[in-house]
Amino acid sequence: MDPVVATVRFCPACGAEPRFVQEYWVAADRHVVCWCAACDGTCTVVLGAIVGTEPQH
Amino acid sequence: MLSAEKNERLTRVGPGTPMGELLRRYWWPVATHDMATRVPVKRRLLGEDLVLYRDGSGTVGLLAEQCPHRRAALWLGCTEEHGLRCGYHGWRFDADGACLEQPGEPADSTFKDRIRATAYPVRELGGLVFAYLGPTPAPQLPRYDLFVWDDAWRDIGHAELPCNFVQIMENSVDPYHVEWLHGRYGSFLRELDGRGGPLPVVTKKHVKVAFEVFEHGILKRRVLEGHTEEDEDWKVGHPLVFPHMLRVGAAGLATFQIRVPIDDENTWHVWYQTYRPDGGAPPQAAVPVYEVPLRDEKGEWLRDYVDGQDIVAWITQGRISDRSKEHLGRSDLGVILLRKLYAEQMERVARGEDPLCTYRAPHDVIDLPMERDKFGSAVAFRQLWTRESSIRYSPIRDDIFELFGDPVPAWTQ
Repeated sequence: MDPVVATVRFCPACGAEPRFVQEYWVAADRHVVCWCAACDGTCTVVLGAIVGTEPQH
Repeated sequence: MLSAEKNERLTRVGPGTPMGELLRRYWWPVATHDMATRVPVKRRLLGEDLVLYRDGSGTVGLLAEQCPHRRAALWLGCTEEHGLRCGYHGWRFDADGACLEQPGEPADSTFKDRIRATAYPVRELGGLVFAYLGPTPAPQLPRYDLFVWDDAWRDIGHAELPCNFVQIMENSVDPYHVEWLHGRYGSFLRELDGRGGPLPVVTKKHVKVAFEVFEHGILKRRVLEGHTEEDEDWKVGHPLVFPHMLRVGAAGLATFQIRVPIDDENTWHVWYQTYRPDGGAPPQAAVPVYEVPLRDEKGEWLRDYVDGQDIVAWITQGRISDRSKEHLGRSDLGVILLRKLYAEQMERVARGEDPLCTYRAPHDVIDLPMERDKFGSAVAFRQLWTRESSIRYSPIRDDIFELFGDPVPAWTQ
C-alpha cells in the first residue's frame, strides 16, 4: 500500500476513508493533513516522539 | 508526499475525471481576441480539441474539431456570413452546433435537422475569448475588475508551457520562492552576466506568511524583513483566484496570471496586464497581444527575468510533477491548502453543487483585493515588474513607462 495512504487509512473523526491525505515534515516529525469528505472534518495526524510536559506544579 | 492515486486525481483534466468535472464548471480563456477571425483556428482546452472562428456576421463560435459528417477537422473550413462550413463536403454549422446546410443531400432532405456539431458557448471580455465546456445552464462569466475597467490600458502576453497547470498554481501559494528563485538565483545570474548587483524588492526576506480561504479563493499575506503587520502586504494581501488565476501587482499596475489547462501535460499561460495610473489612462484603441518566448537563440530556457525563472521552475518538475517523491515542509502549507481546496471543490461538484467562485447572478464587476504598496513601495514594484516580468516583451512597454512616469531605477544602469 502507498505509504501515505497507509499512514491514515481512516478519518480519525468518523472512520471513513479520507479524501485528501497529504504528508509534510516538521523537523523529525511526520505530519499528515487529512480531509474527510464524509464528515467534512480536517485534522493533522502527527507521527513522532511523544514528549509529555506537565504544567509547573 | 502525496499518493500516486491522489496525484492523478489532482492533475487529470479530461472529461469524466474529478478535476476535469470541477474545471468544467468555469469559463476559461480559450483565445486572445486576435485569434478569433474569419480564419478558423485549432484550440485545445481541458483535453478537448476545438475549432474557434468568427463568422461574417461577427459571431464567434467554438465547435469540436471533428465534423460530425466524415470527421474531417473543421479548421479545414470556410467561415460564411452565418456559421462555419466544413471544407470537406460543405456542411455548414452555426455557433450553437445546428447543421444549417448539407449541400450533397437531396434538397427536400430533413437529414440536417438530426445532426448537431458539438458546440460550446463563448463570450468576449477584456480582450479575451472565454469558453464554457460544462453542463448547462452555464454560470455567469465572472466580470473580474481587470477585465472590465474602462479607464485602463491593457496588454496580453501568452505562451504554451509543457507542464500540468497545478504545479503552476502551486507557485502562487508559495511566497518563499520569491526571495530564492528571483532574489538569490535571479541575482546569481545577474552576477554571472556582469549585469550588476542583486535585484531590489524580490530579495527581501519573508518573516511570516499566511493563507486564508475566502470567497475568491485563497488570500495570501506576508510580512517581509523590515516591514510590519501594518503594511499592505499583510493587511490587504492578494489572492489566488480559484481555480486558475493569480492576481498580482501594485498601485496602477494590476495583473492576472491565468493558467489554462490545454490538457494534462500542457498549460496555456496568459499574462494579463492592466495599467491604470491615478486619474485613469487615456483610451486605448486595441489591446496588444504578444507571445512570450521560452528559449533564447541557443535553445536554452530563458531565465534571466522573473517570469522566465518561474516558467523553468514549473517545467523542470516534469510534465506532471511526481508528488509521491516530494518532501514538503512547513513552508509548503500554502501548497497543501490549495490541494485540499481542490479536493473539497471536486467533492462539491460530485454532490451536484456549484463549486467556489461560481456566479449565478448577473453582476457589473467583481472587485478583488490587492495591496497598493507591494513589498513596501508601489513605485519600486512597478519599476521592477515592468522590466523584469514578461512585460519586457510587450510592444507598448515604452508607452507604459511614459504612462506612469516612474523614474528609471538605478539598478538598471
